[in-house]
This record gives sequence, C-alpha cells and structure tokens, in this order.
Amino acid sequence: MGFWQRFLQLDRKWIFIGIAIVVIIPLIKPLGLPIKPTKPVIDLFTYIDTLGPESDPVMVVTGFDPSTMPELMPMEQALLRHCLTKGIPVISFGGLYPAYIGMAKMAIDEVSADFPDKKYGEDYVFLGFIPGVSAVILSIGIDIATTFGNDYYGTPIDSLPMLRGVKNYSDISLVVDVSGSSTPEYWLMYAQERYGVNIGVACTAVSAPAFYAFLQSGQFVGMLGGLKGAAEYEELMARKGYPTGRRPATIGMDSQSLAHLLIILLIILGNAGYFIVRRGERRQGIIRRKK
Amino acid sequence: MSISTSIWVWMAALLTLMVYSFLYKDNPFYRLAEHIFMGLSLGYTLTILWYNYIIPRVYEPLFLPPHQWSLIFPILLGMMTFGIFSKKYSWLIKYPLAFYVGGYAGLRIPLLLQSWIIRQVEASFLTPDKFTSLMSSINAILIFAGLFATLIYFYFSKKREHGFGAAAQVGIVFIMVAFGAAFGYTVMARISLLIGRMQFLLHDWLGIM
Amino acid sequence: MILLLALAFSISAKDTPDDGGGSITVNVYNIPEGTARIELSRLEKGDTLFKEAGLISIFKGECEDVSVIDGVEYLYRGKAIAKDTFYIAEIKGFVTSSPQWFNKSRTTVLIFLILFGSVVLTYIQLAKKNPEGLFIRKLPALDAIDEAVGRSTEMGKPVLFVPGLEAITDAGTLASLTILEKVGKKVAEYGSRVIHPNFDPIVMTTAQETLKTAFAEAGRPDAFNKDDVFYLTYEQFGFAAGVDGIMLRERPGAIFLQGYFYAESLILAETGYSIGAIQIAGTNATTQLPFFVAACDYVLLGEEMFAASAYISREPRLLGSIKGSDLAKVVLLFMIGAGVIFGTIAGIAKQGGNPAYMQIFNKMLEFLARGAK
Repeated sequence: MGFWQRFLQLDRKWIFIGIAIVVIIPLIKPLGLPIKPTKPVIDLFTYIDTLGPESDPVMVVTGFDPSTMPELMPMEQALLRHCLTKGIPVISFGGLYPAYIGMAKMAIDEVSADFPDKKYGEDYVFLGFIPGVSAVILSIGIDIATTFGNDYYGTPIDSLPMLRGVKNYSDISLVVDVSGSSTPEYWLMYAQERYGVNIGVACTAVSAPAFYAFLQSGQFVGMLGGLKGAAEYEELMARKGYPTGRRPATIGMDSQSLAHLLIILLIILGNAGYFIVRRGERRQGIIRRKK
Repeated sequence: MSISTSIWVWMAALLTLMVYSFLYKDNPFYRLAEHIFMGLSLGYTLTILWYNYIIPRVYEPLFLPPHQWSLIFPILLGMMTFGIFSKKYSWLIKYPLAFYVGGYAGLRIPLLLQSWIIRQVEASFLTPDKFTSLMSSINAILIFAGLFATLIYFYFSKKREHGFGAAAQVGIVFIMVAFGAAFGYTVMARISLLIGRMQFLLHDWLGIM
Repeated sequence: MILLLALAFSISAKDTPDDGGGSITVNVYNIPEGTARIELSRLEKGDTLFKEAGLISIFKGECEDVSVIDGVEYLYRGKAIAKDTFYIAEIKGFVTSSPQWFNKSRTTVLIFLILFGSVVLTYIQLAKKNPEGLFIRKLPALDAIDEAVGRSTEMGKPVLFVPGLEAITDAGTLASLTILEKVGKKVAEYGSRVIHPNFDPIVMTTAQETLKTAFAEAGRPDAFNKDDVFYLTYEQFGFAAGVDGIMLRERPGAIFLQGYFYAESLILAETGYSIGAIQIAGTNATTQLPFFVAACDYVLLGEEMFAASAYISREPRLLGSIKGSDLAKVVLLFMIGAGVIFGTIAGIAKQGGNPAYMQIFNKMLEFLARGAK
C-alpha cells in the first residue's frame, strides 16, 4: 500500500491528537498573531461607542447555554464591559430559554465585579427568564414592567431607578442578542420589524453565515461571529484603552489559527491523495483491461 | 502553576475529561458523564420552569388575591395538550393546537414576509450609491448575481436548457460557495469549543496558562 | 426675539399611529444645553393636578406614554431639568389615544400576502382539475433513486432509509414520506429490503403504512416486513449512534437521509460514506446541507425536496405551492430588475442635476419598507 493510500485510511485518532497539540501549545506559549477587526464587528462596536450615560439603555440578551459558552461568553462579557466602561445603562436579560439564565448570571457577576463604582439598579439591571420566547419579545415592546414584573432578584421593576422612564423598545437604544441558536431571527421579526428597535447580533460561527444577509440589508446594526468576532471586539476595546479583562477570545485566536492551518493542510493532502489514488486505480484498470 | 482547589472546578474538569474519553472509544466513564448531564439538564430545566412559570404565572395569579379567574381558560386550553398521553382523549390536543397554529401563523407570516422577503428585495436593488468603492461595487454585483442565479436554480417550472440552464449552473456555484463558507464557519466553531475547554483545563483547573 | 422663540424648548404630542391604542407619542424639540433629564407629566381633562408620566429620552427627544386610556383627553407638560435651572413646555390643546383598524406600515405585506396567497390557491385549484397539466422538472436525484436501489439489490444488500429527527408535522418529514413511497416501490419491484429506523413513534407508524401501500402497489404485499420499520430512541445522539450501528452491521448498499436533521447529519453521512454506500440526502435544514453535500452522492437542496415530493405524488397542494412559489420568484426577479433599472436611471439623472427621479425612487423604497406611512 502506497503512502497516499495509507494517508487516506489514516485513523481519525491521529487527527484528534494533531488538533489537540496545535490547540494546546499556543495556549501555553502564545504566538501573538495580529487580529484585524472586520466591518460587522467595527459597526457594532462603533454603534455602542457613540452611546453614553445619557442615552437609552442597551439590552444585552443572553441566548446561550454551556455548550456554546466558549464562543459566546467572551462576547457577552466584552459587550457588558464596553457598556459599563462608557457608562451606558445596561439591561442584562437572562434569555428566552431556561438554560440561559445561569450563563447570564455568570457574565454579569464577573463583569460587574470589575466595576465596583457601578451600582445595581442605577447603572445596570438583571432581568430573569420568562417563558414564551416570541411572546416575551413582543411583550417587551408593549411594557417591560408588565412583562417581567420583578427583576432576577425579586425587586419590582418600578422600583429600579434605572428603569424609570424605560417602558418598551422605544426607550432602548439597542438590543444585542448573544445567541447560540436562531433567536436573532426572532428578535429581527418580533422586535426590529414590529417595533423598530435596533438589533445587534453576537452569534456562534455556525450561525454567522445565515445572518450576513441581514447585515447586508442593514437589518442588523453589526455582528460578532464566533470566537474571531469576540477577539476582534476585545481588540477594538484594547485599542481604545478600555479595560478588557483577561481577553479569553484573543488568547484562543493563536490556537484557532494554527488549528485552521492544520485542517487546511489535511484538506489539501486528503484531496490530493484522493485524486492520486484514483488516477493510480484507473491506470491499473486500463492495464488490466489491456491484458 | 497553581492547581485549582475548588471542588467544582475539579468536578467540571473530570467530567470534561470523561466526555473527551469518547474520542478514544465508547466507555463507561463517557456514559456516566452523559447520563449525569441528561439528568441534570432535565432537573435544572424543570426547576427553572417551576419557579419562573408555574409559581408566578399560574399559581400566584390564580390562588393569591387579587385572583385572576380569567386565567382559567388559557390554562384549561393548555392542559388539553396532555390529552396526547391517552388514546381516548388524544383528540383534545386539536383545540390548543388550532389556537397555537392560527395565532402563530398570523403573527409570523406577515413579519416573516416583511423581514425575509421585502427587506431583502429592497436591499438587493443595485443603485449608484452601492458603487462608491471598488470593493463595494464587487460586493453589490456578486450579491445581485448570486440572488438572481440562485433563484433561477430553484425554479422548477422550466427545463434547464440553454441560457436558463447556464444561469442555474452559476446558481449552484454560488450555493456551493455558501455551503463552503458555512462548513468553514462550522469548523471554526467546533475548534473554538475545544479551545474554550482547553482554556478551562489549562487555566482554571491546572493553572499553567 | 422671534428667533429666540422659535428656538425655545417645546413639546408636542399625538396619538401613536398604526397601533392598537393606549399610547400617545410625545416629542420634545430644542432641548436646552446642559439638560440632565426631561420629566414628563400629564393632566387628565377634568383634573386639576399634573401627574408624573415618565421620562423623555434626551437621546431621541421622544417618549411613548403607554399608560393612557383610549378616549380620555390629556394635556402634556415637559420639564427639562439642567444643573441649576429648569425649563417647562406644554402642548397646545388636549390629545387622546385611539386604536387603528388598519396598520398602514404593513400595506406592502398585505399586498404581497394577497398576491402570493391567491397565486398558490389558483394553482392548487388548477392542480386539482388536471395534476398532469402542471409541469415540474424532474430532478437528477430522482433518477438516482432507481440507480441506487438497483445497485444495492445487485450487491445483495438492503436499503436504509432515515426519515430525519422531526415530527410528522414538519414539511420535510412529510416530503420524506413521499420519497419513501417511491423508494419502497422500487425496493419491492427489485425484491430487495428496506430498513427504516425511527426517531418519532408517529412517523414510524406512518412510514409502516406508506411502505405497506408501496409494496402492495408494486404487486408484492407479501414482501413487506413490518419489523423493518422500527422505533429506535427519542435521544438525538442515541439515535445517531443507533443508525451508525445499523450501517456498520447491515452494510446497506444505498442510504437515503431524507427529512429534517440536526447536528447528527455529518455523523450519519460520514459513516454511510465509510461503508461505501450510495447516499442520497435531502433536507430542509439549510444549516445541515453543507455536510450532506460533502459526504453524499446526491442531495436534494431545501426546496428541491418539496419539488421532488410534488413530482412523485402529483398531490395538488404540493404542486400548487411549488408552482405558486415559482411564480413568486419570477415576480421578485422582475421587481429587483425594475428596481435596478429605475434606480440606475434615477442615479444618473441626479448626477446630471435632476433629483426628481431619485426622490420618487426613494419614496418607492420607503413604501416597500414601511408601507404607506
């Protein structure tokens, strides 16, 4: 059996080991590859960056569970950090499905701990899970206080100073859905189309291609796609001199780049091997027929 | 290097390793982790639903003053779905489903049409303001050509001959490029998940990052 | 003096248009420099005291008061509070809120809905009268079905049909059952065997009936084995593992992955590829299509699956929908084409010093996006 045939029958465990090596090494010894922010990320960053303490709140919606946490948690934390740094009032919404609330709590707790001067209820609020998915999105468009009743901690919405005067989407400057599923489509339909609120998206790389159509049409303000999008956002924060925390997405980008290189190499070799082996088999076939 | 002393971090790390052991082959450790996860996620969801739904949305408005008796009707309607568990009463599910499907379609179709079709059509118009730079011009033409050719590819009322067939061929090229991009993005997503877990193991657990 | 008055802090209020009532939109103009917040209060006709009605966003200069009662008359007052001073403005006359029967911003949606709905209904009626009269092109994957079943039979191997992970209500599952019928007939004709593992019990029962009919129509009712259509599990990856096991044990010659799939799609298609089976996939789950395209021999892409199903069954509703959506595509293409031509002419005219066409074009765009507001 030739090299190419052996290569094509390579046990997949070797590929797993190869990927593990190229992922682990740069985490321990970073390469510091440059990160160049792209337009969808710059658009979302710029939109938020133009807001300030006097603007309407930004609503950050948690739309992910632990399965997509590595991609989306850095985005949510970067977005919350950005808002709190700029003094923009933040509504952290624990999400449309039960599994998301834990992630939302983790994000807001970790980020707010780095901003001891920011007060709960005055600078940021945390709203819990409400069942109903599309009904919840629509209901926020009518009245936030009636939709939620209380915040996550059981405090009535009416008694939170930050939410005085915030009745529905018309008092919210931007909704950013940090989502590991198709929920941005719901926000687009039921919040943007129905009530006209601006929507930004922070999504997994799997979902990103599907949302480009809405970026192009201007229906989404901007988008962070996958770990790369998170790293770009962290980079933009750093360039402005804002506090960024540990920058988990940036740390992971070296590993991401090396893993991609390995996969590209494997795709090229795999395809080359396939054609070489097939050509060899055809030739043998021709020889056999001649006999 | 400072290994974590938190029991929760250790538990999460061990469970991660147990799940990754599947890459070698199926084994009891993987099965254990899988079953713990399934049981836990079900219990977690039920708890969240109980305290965020049943208690504040059903029990409190109905049984505590001021009683909202009108809620009985939607609750009864919702309870009809449980009819599915009995052969005799499975027909009951038709009524809540009729409300659900009717309401949902009425709500969704106009908004879907507006956001997915009308807005997209509007954005596809090639106008001089889309040709401000070389890149924006190329993008605008590609989007327009892609939309045009892809719609032709999915046109079933005509045989694929001559120019129509050629346009459909261009359409499939665009579709394949889109699939390639989606596949690439998926690879990126899966690697990101691995990176996230590795960061957890190396930073949070072993403390060597 | 006049200029100063014109620039003075002012406020206006009107019934929020195109809504279900219970809302008045308040706007403020010329917000004084240094304003920290703008408090809104309102007076109900007949009352003597202004009551607090919320805060007006300085950022947008607008606020929607959603705590009003339809038909009641209100007078609004805005108080812009700066560091050391405040400014007051009041609206002229009372305003009331009322619901509107027709939301003008949805005019275009209504036009599109009526247009597309009537086209689909017309085609359904036509299909009912003469199903053979409506042309739908045959898809290459349909020819491949005969080839795959034939080759599988030649090799003495069974055919595996996986109907996806959705319930019977999903359009993809229904289309997959129509394709199953065709596969079933071919299998019966060739005297082969079809294995049909299921994720959903109702789909299983329907698939049993479908195959039973297909075998009967092919004249081989005795060859149908009910046990070949069986229930596996309702757990996503448990189902994937089960199907993978069947592929490795039974070594089918042809595999059909038809229906709605999730993340297990690549696992199934990859295992099928590794055993050398001919694979024909079809799904309306667009996110999973790239994986099927990478690992299968033929793929029915999204709507192609429904077209294939309509082609096989000639069912009027399916045929009507496909023909209707085809016409909708033509309309959309013409709209886009007309938009491009008119937009270009308007752009050139604007550059030549005549902005009138561009204004008309922009109004058209506005109408398309937000109706006749």
